[in-house]
Amino acid sequence: MADPSWNTDTGEAVYRSRDPVRNLRLRVHLQRITSSTFLYQSATQLGDDLINLATFNPHTSASGHRRDEEEEEEVVIGWQEKLFSQFEVDLYQNESACQTPLDHQYHQEILELEASGGRKNRRIFTYTDSDRYTNLEEHFQKMTTSENEVPSFLVERMANVRRRRQDRTSREGSLLKSRIITWRPTEEFIRNNHVINTPLQTMYIMADLGPYGKLGQKNYEQVLCTLKVDSNGVITVKPDFTDNKGPYRIEMEGEKQEVWKYTIDNVSSPAQREEEEREQRVFKDLYDRHKEYLSSLVGSDFEMTIPGSLRFFVNGEVVSAQGYEYDSLYVHFQLELPDNWLSPPHQQLSGITQTCVTKSLGMDNVAYFSYPFTFEMSFFHEDASPDSLPQWPVLYFEVISLDFWQRYRIEGYGSIVLPSTPGTHTLTISTWRPVELGTVSELRRFFIGGSLELEDLSYVRIPGTFQGRRLSRFGFRTKTTGSVTFRFHCLLQSRAFLDSSLPWRKRQSVMDLMGRFSQQSSIINVMEAFQRARRRMQEARESLPQDLVSAASTTNLLASSSPRHRAFQGQGSL
Amino acid sequence: MAEVHVIGQIIGAKGFSESSLFCKWGIHTGGAWKLLSGIREGQTQVDTPQLGDMAYWAHPIDLHFATKGLQGWPRLHLQVWSQDSFGRCQLAGYGFCHVPSSPGTHSIECVTWRPLGGWREQLARAFVGGGPQLLHSDVVYSGADRYRLHTASAGTVYMELNLILRNFGRYGVEC
Repeated sequence: MADPSWNTDTGEAVYRSRDPVRNLRLRVHLQRITSSTFLYQSATQLGDDLINLATFNPHTSASGHRRDEEEEEEVVIGWQEKLFSQFEVDLYQNESACQTPLDHQYHQEILELEASGGRKNRRIFTYTDSDRYTNLEEHFQKMTTSENEVPSFLVERMANVRRRRQDRTSREGSLLKSRIITWRPTEEFIRNNHVINTPLQTMYIMADLGPYGKLGQKNYEQVLCTLKVDSNGVITVKPDFTDNKGPYRIEMEGEKQEVWKYTIDNVSSPAQREEEEREQRVFKDLYDRHKEYLSSLVGSDFEMTIPGSLRFFVNGEVVSAQGYEYDSLYVHFQLELPDNWLSPPHQQLSGITQTCVTKSLGMDNVAYFSYPFTFEMSFFHEDASPDSLPQWPVLYFEVISLDFWQRYRIEGYGSIVLPSTPGTHTLTISTWRPVELGTVSELRRFFIGGSLELEDLSYVRIPGTFQGRRLSRFGFRTKTTGSVTFRFHCLLQSRAFLDSSLPWRKRQSVMDLMGRFSQQSSIINVMEAFQRARRRMQEARESLPQDLVSAASTTNLLASSSPRHRAFQGQGSL
Repeated sequence: MAEVHVIGQIIGAKGFSESSLFCKWGIHTGGAWKLLSGIREGQTQVDTPQLGDMAYWAHPIDLHFATKGLQGWPRLHLQVWSQDSFGRCQLAGYGFCHVPSSPGTHSIECVTWRPLGGWREQLARAFVGGGPQLLHSDVVYSGADRYRLHTASAGTVYMELNLILRNFGRYGVEC
């Protein structure tokens, strides 16, 4: 019954599990497909070996006249469960062959097994982590077809990884802290630290595919599956479990060319629903408690803006100035807030960096400032006219050089509109300085310092005094000088971002927001006006003589029942 | 309460006239901020570049802040020192940069400067090393008294910071 859909992918698969690995159960099913000879006579020899298998189901086999017990075998194997092979049974039965304590233990177990009615497996057996085979396999596993493949240095080191797990040495972090560097590393230190050191447990599921009746020959042993589990719960299975895929196939070498097929299934009992739920609850509880602890440390409140306003935070730096004519530069900057922008009273809106001597970097002379500034501004949209475009704050700056003789020279002017999108912005602004025709002023600049200066920094953009339709600078001569690099980290905060139904990334433009602010603020205006009017009314009522109040109590009642109407009246009178 | 994770490293420094550099760093925050976990300041090893003039430190930064407001966003200040073959340390530069306020990975180049001193000190520095240092290192991360200083440009410190922000959207902050 050859299944044509063979599984040829014998690569390893990696699983992760948080549960203890001892719950791992595998079902291995092995079946012979072809056989060249009938071995009738051997049946009599093996008569006492043919024990009925607990997990064996004879009806699944369709191989007809052949003996079912011989044809296939199915075993459920737990993690590190030792199933003895025929060879091991023969070997460990006589005590003289036992050398290590493990051998003696096996001897005992085999004797017990024999007493209790023999072992349940026949062809399929396992090598556990403590078996000699697993070590040998690590050492002498061949990777190529080369005749004399010698294990490399790293192979030997990696073999130590396993050995170390067996004689676990105490290597603690506290040892590392006291002494950072080991000047004379010991052999053991090298063994422990020169290769990866995740302890790994290995288990081999093997099959003895010898001819019927001649079980227990080492050269017929075949690896069905290799399982490796490390301490982090990573389970490596090679080859992978055959869930829906076809079975794996083994072709024996030699004259008979027998073909075997086998499947490996994961039959670990899944966790109960209640257990899973309990686990999730425990985790959730833990996280909740941690969150509570954190918020108890800090408090759950957060500074919010006034409704209808936009708060704009800029954390910025004057990074550097480069490409200027003279040495010893400093930058003087000031922030201009347009209408409707406010900043806290304690806030500085200007700054002067230190005087910095340049150094040459490539073609340029650069001065490094790394000067911090922080601006906090709030925008209130008070005039409700939708046409008026909001203006964004502007940073004006000038670069000045101040040399050893205290000669003072303007090196450049520039301005920058603060970035209106949140995030990090690194901006390099080119600057200019005014010049006069003729050589006299340049000579004066060279020898005694001082030169043309702008009277008002706002002339860099639109002069404050400017009123007109066209801005003309005709007749004003300038000269290109160097550039200044700024870095801005911008943050915007507003309640309008909160109730935005749009997804976070799909940010509406600031203009839209402004429009919304105007709506919001108009509502707020109305509410405030109402409050004012109401207060005024109450004051007026208290100032009235008592008899008048009692007389007009009925009308008052009326008035308080329709406050909105009254509010608009109040607003009108403002 | 909103939270900020700053995870990254000080990669190294370049452009200093001295070799064998090490770096002291610290993070300064405003009053509304609280450090939940991580180490606020540190010092790297001394690295001697073999090829080129870039000293690599690969010094880890891993901080977790919680805040009640936007004021006083974390600011990172650095001091780069050089150690000579006799074990003497001299200042190579002071640097400052704001911790970025947008989530994601940021490569930061932090430029540094050092106080210059008078011409005698400059001359002495050229021959025997040394040189003036700041009396109060808070000048590095505040701009108020900077204008009193006369400095020289030093090298650049390279950093890589990854930011993870939490709950800022809940308070209407776009970052």
